[in-house]
Formats: sequence, structure tokens, C-alpha cells
Amino acid sequence: MAKGDMYLAQASDKEILKQGESGGAVTALLKFALDSGVVDAVLGVKKRDGNNRYDAVLDLITDPEKVIDCAGSLHCVSLNIARNVKEYLDGAKQMKIAVPCKPCDARAIIEIAKRKQINRDNLLLIGLNCTGTLPPVVAKEMLIGEYDVNPNEVVMEDIEGGELIISLADGTKIAKVLLELEKKGYGRRDNCRRCNVNIPTMADIACGKWGVKEGEKKTFTEVCSDKGAEFIDNAIKTGVIKVEPPGEDAITERKRKDREAIELSNKCEAEDLKELRGFNLDDRLAYWLHMFDRCIKCFSCRDACPICYCKKCFLEPDRGYVKGGEVPPDRMFHLTRLAHDGDSCVNCGQCQDACPAEIPLTRLYLMLNIKLSPMFDYVSGMDVEQKPPLIAAKDEEASIDDIDIFLVKGEASEVVPQQ
Amino acid sequence: MGEEVKGEFEPRIIGFTCNWCTYAAADLAGTARMKYPPNIRLIRQMCSGRVDPLFVLKVFLRGADGVFIGGCHPGECHYMTGNLSARRRYSMMKKLLESVGIDPKRLRMEWISASEGIKFSDTVKEFTTQIKGLGPGPFRHIETEGKEQK
Repeated sequence: MAKGDMYLAQASDKEILKQGESGGAVTALLKFALDSGVVDAVLGVKKRDGNNRYDAVLDLITDPEKVIDCAGSLHCVSLNIARNVKEYLDGAKQMKIAVPCKPCDARAIIEIAKRKQINRDNLLLIGLNCTGTLPPVVAKEMLIGEYDVNPNEVVMEDIEGGELIISLADGTKIAKVLLELEKKGYGRRDNCRRCNVNIPTMADIACGKWGVKEGEKKTFTEVCSDKGAEFIDNAIKTGVIKVEPPGEDAITERKRKDREAIELSNKCEAEDLKELRGFNLDDRLAYWLHMFDRCIKCFSCRDACPICYCKKCFLEPDRGYVKGGEVPPDRMFHLTRLAHDGDSCVNCGQCQDACPAEIPLTRLYLMLNIKLSPMFDYVSGMDVEQKPPLIAAKDEEASIDDIDIFLVKGEASEVVPQQ
Repeated sequence: MGEEVKGEFEPRIIGFTCNWCTYAAADLAGTARMKYPPNIRLIRQMCSGRVDPLFVLKVFLRGADGVFIGGCHPGECHYMTGNLSARRRYSMMKKLLESVGIDPKRLRMEWISASEGIKFSDTVKEFTTQIKGLGPGPFRHIETEGKEQK
């Protein structure tokens, strides 16, 4: 097996097959990782008290039998996995951990690993396809108001083909168009609307159900790294998962669904940023200053950001940029954060989720990141070897005199996304 | 700071200049009695790579109308790659300023070696004229005096 190989996988264990979603391959792999000693622990996401799907919690599991508690996917979650690994698990420097993660979690982990705060070598990233998550409280309101169901009776959510489909305990499925829900203020988290990374190929293994036929209990699995390849190899040898090669049609179907989701996100992006892009400079500045002045300086955005890591933060009063005891804080507060993280933002939306003043931070960061990405040929959180663009000056640049080389490069590609 | 002529807008420009090249060029321009507008206030850095994006932001927020960064030509940095990093930061800053609504034309970077006194005075002339055309910076109204941070 090698990088790039794809399979349709299914758990061999009956119980996992029953509890898990799409064949339970992820749960089986996590259990195998613990069983075989590849990792010391699994950082899973499970429902609080085993039944509350609107209050998911992270759980560091060391007992292989307990992995099954994390089976099945949850959509009303926005756990800050990267930050938790860094902050509370010592950046995985002492132990090996398997982390099932969404694309943004994987990207955040890779970005912070570049900054040497997490040891990527100790992590086994099992990526899960994602087309968006929902803010739990709003989701509950939506289920009551729009779907007319009791939120506690929901057993599964799914986002497919632009629709949010929920399944109830009695087997009923209700589907509603996402964009219409979002017009009413429900639906996905703000940043998820505009996210165009659905398949986590930056992780070690990317799992999902795209490409699997309706009704079939299988997981489409792509091997994305050598570490992933070795791991899957052993898993197959031990027999914890059964695999079969996917047909051409399955691969095309998966690609088609990915493209479809990307198109939807591009549409949302154009819609969401239309107002900001349309502003002239003065109006744009007025808009952002107005937003910044809502800030109550709670530092939540900084504390939630998976990429912020300075031990002595520039936002603290002793650094001389932002005066202490002032609310709203000096505008440097937000501009500093933007200057520090704008190039490496992974659009995970944690800052905005944490903000009590509801400043649309992800829009600001995305606006900047979209421009920087083509300039520096840099997509954040993809490759742990690729340095952040501002410190990645190459020797060959010494022979280029043009001061606007990056700006020219950025402008050349800017025509495409602006439509 | 000289007295401003009534009625005419005199921009305040902060120039971050590299000790090894642009600052020396400014020196040369001075000793050679070349004329350039007094609107620029130079702050000497050891390298253009020392210019933190936060310096630029802070300067704008404290009322500057323009910011100039002068560094050595690529390949001639005293610290090998300081100016290359500076170029990347400058490119990022241009886009950052645009994203939040500060005219990116208010930020300018130029490679000026120690022997290019003429280039220095020309650049300052040109940049000052440009900033005059753009008008006062967005935070010009802020009274900086007496509100200095510790």
C-alpha cells in the first residue's frame, strides 16, 4: 500500500459495524491503533453523558473497549481539537495520539506543528470528510422551529447535495435546503459556509462516505501519507477492517461530490464577502473600526486561535502595543492578531465562535488569506514541511530586484475568484 | 517638526531605513545638499527585516499619513536575507491594509543602496507628492501628543 491508494473499508467487528456510521471503519481503525500500540491514546469526540448530541466533548481514551463511545458522527460541534492538543496534552510531545479530525482541525494541527508547539510525528491524523458543522444552540432552535422536531429525537444529521438531512429515531428523514436555512440565520457555522476543503488529504488517512453507494455500509478511505499507509496495511493484515478497491464510478462520484461542495462554498463566499468587497476603502475602514469597537477585550479570539502561541503575547499591556485597562481596546488589538495570523489562518472559525461581541472575524481573516495565498503559493495547513510564508524567504529571491514580485503574482490570480 | 503652512496639507511620513544602506543614502543626500521634502521622519533600523508589520500598523494608527521602508537591494543584505523577509512582510502588509480599508498606496518600500543619495531624495519627493494627493491619513485627526503610550 502506498500514498494515494483508495479503498472501500468496513469494520469486521459486528458491534462497531452496528454502532458506527458508514461501516464503522474509523472506529475500527482507532480501536486497532490502541490495540496494536501504534498510539498511547485516542482523542475522540463523544456525546456528553452518552446521549447529548448538542454538547460534544473531547475524550482521551486509553482503553480500547471505550473507543466505541465515539462511534458515529456529530455535526453540532465545533471543538477546538488543535488547541486542546497543544494546551492540555503537551503538544503530543510525551505520548502518541490518534486524532480523528475534520479538515480544519488537521490543518490547524499542521500549522501549529510548524511552529513546534505540537509534535506531528506523534500524531496519527484520521481525517474525516466535512461539509460543515452547526452551532449547537442555533441548531436546536432550528430543529424546533424549522424542522418541527424534538432535538433529542434526532439520531443523525447529514449534509449532502446542499441539503441538511436529519434522521429521527423512527427512521423518518427530513431534508431542507441549506442556503434557505442559512438565509434565516440557521444552518452551518459562518466560516463553514465558505470552507472549500472537504476532504482532509493533509491528514494521514482521509475517510468519508462520498463514493459509497446509498445504503451500503462502507467508508471510502484514502491513504494520504506513508505513516497512514503503514497503519492501514497492518490493520488489513490483522483483519480489523475488510477492504475492497473502489470502482472507477465510486472515485468519480467522490470527486463530483467534492466539486459540488466546493462550488457551493464558492457561491457562499462570493455572497458573504460581496458587501465587504463592494465597499470603498473609507467605508471598509469605517465598517471594521465599528466592529472592532464592539470588542470587550476578553482575549477569547486569541485564546481560541489554534495558531496563536506566543508565550509573551503582543496584546498584553507590557508589550507596548495595546494599553492595559481600556475597553474597547486599542485598534492595534485586532490588527496585531490579523498581522500575526492572517497568512496562516485555516478558517476554522474558532475565534468567531468564541467572540461574545460577534465580530465577524472569520470574514476579515478570509478576505486577507484569499489574497495572500496565491501571492506566496501557500495554502495554510497542508504540509508540515512548508514554512509559513513570511519567514520562508528563499535564497533565489536574492537575485530578484522587483519589489512588487509577490503583489504582481497575487494580482495575476486575483481575477479568478472575484468573478 | 516645522510649522505647517496654513491651508496646505503637509503629510507626515515615517521612514524606516536600514542602517547599512538607505540611512546612509539619506546621509549622502544630506551631505551632498540634495533637496527633498522635510515631511519624512526617518527611524533608523539595523535592517529592513527589523521592521515589524506592527510598527507600520502602529504608526498609521497614531496618525501618520504614509510609511516608507528602505532596504538594501536583494542580495546585498548585511544579514543575508533580512531584506527578503522584509519584502514578504511588505507584500503582506499591503494586502492587510487594503483588507481593513487603509489605502495601500500609503505604504511604500524601496531598495536604496548607500550610494544612491539621488534615488533617496527622488523617492521621498515622489512619495510625498503621492501622499499629498491622497490627502490626510485615516487617523490623522488623532492627537498624538500627551496620549503617548508608556
